[in-house]
Amino acid sequence: MMLDGNGIGRREFVRGGAGLVLGSSLLTAGCGVGQEKGSEEAVKKVVPAKVDGDLLIFNWTEYMDPKLISGFEDRYKVKVRTANFDSMPSMMAKLRSGNEYDVIFPTADYVNRLVQANMLLQLDREKLKNADTIYSFFDDPWYDAKSAHTVPYAMYTTGIAWRDDKVEGISGSWNDLMNESAKGKVFMLDDFQEGIGQANLLNGFDLNATDPAELAQTKQTLEQQKEYLRGYSTNAAPQLLSGAAWIHHAWNGDIINTRNQAKNKDPEIFKFETCKEGIPVGSDCMAIPVNAKSPGTALLFLDWILDPVNASQNIQYHGYPMPIEGSEDSFAELAADDPAIEVSVDDLESGSQFKELSVVERKAWDRVWTEVKA
Amino acid sequence: MNDAFWRRFLVPGALWLAFFFAVPFGIAIAISFGQAAEFGGVIYGWHPENYADALDPLFAPILLRSVGYAAATALLCLAIGYPVAYTIARFGGRWKNALIALILLPFLINYLVRTYAWVALLSDEGLLSNIAGRPLGIINTPVAVIGGLVYGYLGFMILPIYASLERMDPALIEAGKDLYGGPRQTFWHVTWPQTLPGVLAGALLVFLPAVGDFVSAQLLGGPDTYMIGNLIQQQFYGADNWPFGAALTVVLMAFLMIFVAFFLRGGRSAERREALA
Repeated sequence: MMLDGNGIGRREFVRGGAGLVLGSSLLTAGCGVGQEKGSEEAVKKVVPAKVDGDLLIFNWTEYMDPKLISGFEDRYKVKVRTANFDSMPSMMAKLRSGNEYDVIFPTADYVNRLVQANMLLQLDREKLKNADTIYSFFDDPWYDAKSAHTVPYAMYTTGIAWRDDKVEGISGSWNDLMNESAKGKVFMLDDFQEGIGQANLLNGFDLNATDPAELAQTKQTLEQQKEYLRGYSTNAAPQLLSGAAWIHHAWNGDIINTRNQAKNKDPEIFKFETCKEGIPVGSDCMAIPVNAKSPGTALLFLDWILDPVNASQNIQYHGYPMPIEGSEDSFAELAADDPAIEVSVDDLESGSQFKELSVVERKAWDRVWTEVKA
Repeated sequence: MNDAFWRRFLVPGALWLAFFFAVPFGIAIAISFGQAAEFGGVIYGWHPENYADALDPLFAPILLRSVGYAAATALLCLAIGYPVAYTIARFGGRWKNALIALILLPFLINYLVRTYAWVALLSDEGLLSNIAGRPLGIINTPVAVIGGLVYGYLGFMILPIYASLERMDPALIEAGKDLYGGPRQTFWHVTWPQTLPGVLAGALLVFLPAVGDFVSAQLLGGPDTYMIGNLIQQQFYGADNWPFGAALTVVLMAFLMIFVAFFLRGGRSAERREALA
């Protein structure tokens, strides 16, 4: 089929759409709905885990098996609608402008922000039957003391995906973004955190380096890498499948997603590596916003996703390991020939995680990114 | 009927403008003087330094590129749109309305979806490359970005030109011929001046949204096609710095308003010259 691999990348689609509705969130934000901080009492509301209405979940695209959602609908006789975001700032913008979601999927660094702003309901783990299946590493993670507001969802890493039928000389380094045989066919993630992060690591700096001298060098690295780029994209699967990208800076789940969609191509030509200079790792969570309309149903939903059988099914769909006892075999099956896509709790402890930058630091990073792209 | 009666009809339009332009723009201005909060969001206040940041020469090449792409888009739309409008207006006959409806039809589909269609058509293994028998290499280049803009905004050029052609009295062309004007002379001395207001309106309607567009560059662009719209979007949804994004927006608006003022003044004097000639 001619359209093979040119399928609309839903993540990018959401991003474009997000801009088009920005006006409306600006409007509500300006009307004072987007308060700086919620009240502390609202956070402590006690919610029984029973059905109290339909659900609206707010998630990345292609990040949860739709069959799990319909299974939940059948089991509890409720409707579940899904809305998508394409970046953490856009999720925050929607939340701050007063939109009511029942379950959200923030990354660890954003959990920290949401907790500080009193925007997440406290979760009583006693009410979650499957809470015991969560790895103990997440009993008291750095981003949410005593895991009071969140349960973990998935663990991920960033690396390089490539077409083994086209590219030669892959070396296990971030330098592979400057592979000569793929010059002009390389895509970098269109995400300033990931872009600057990998260049920091390649230069031997801390992933979150903000020192001006270091950032100046990182900027040079990004400019050198740009010579090899065909573009910036957060849409690895269609780019790799269509042959637009021979090398794509990507998340580990992207490669599973790509292989799942390979159709008339051999899935084995799509490879993924992590890089020896350092690997950005991270984890994200499920949480219930304080203004959720159906927090009781939402609790049941979290429990549903944490169920090891459901988690195993979910992993086959999104391709990321989940920190849930009993789901390991499912991921091991995906990672059989691909140890690079694995992320373990050890990696989370020893690997580099994106930290939350201060306003000044974030501005410095954004400036580097703009200077490179200008 | 007195003036007071007719003035009532201004109310819906004025309300529309107030709610969907003045109020949101006021909010954007308020945000542009705020400060980005540590945990995201905006702290309102008086921080004119956002504007000093927005006027940084770093952004000049991005703005110039955007203006260049938009100007190229407007010229291409004129080159494509004028003959189309002319053909429909002069030779459309009873099919006129149907033909105009056909031109409007794609606009019923979201611009984003239509741009994705171009991704599929232009990509290395897409329809056009298949027909050509080799990858065309158009996608991820400025050509693709400008092409996406032309496609996206062409209708805004055709409609005003069509309207001004429709308004024109065909007897004028007859008169031109009667005065021994050849087809070319008649066009440049009769038809073109008559439709100049439509051309100017179309040029503005295409140029203005094209300058601020971010969809085409994001989906069809390459490493060197960063536009001002992409930069503004990055401030809202990447860097989480709404005040700076809002300040950039206001500066862009101011720049475009000055441009429009000069453009319209230039247009009017051109019309006057034509009228005297």
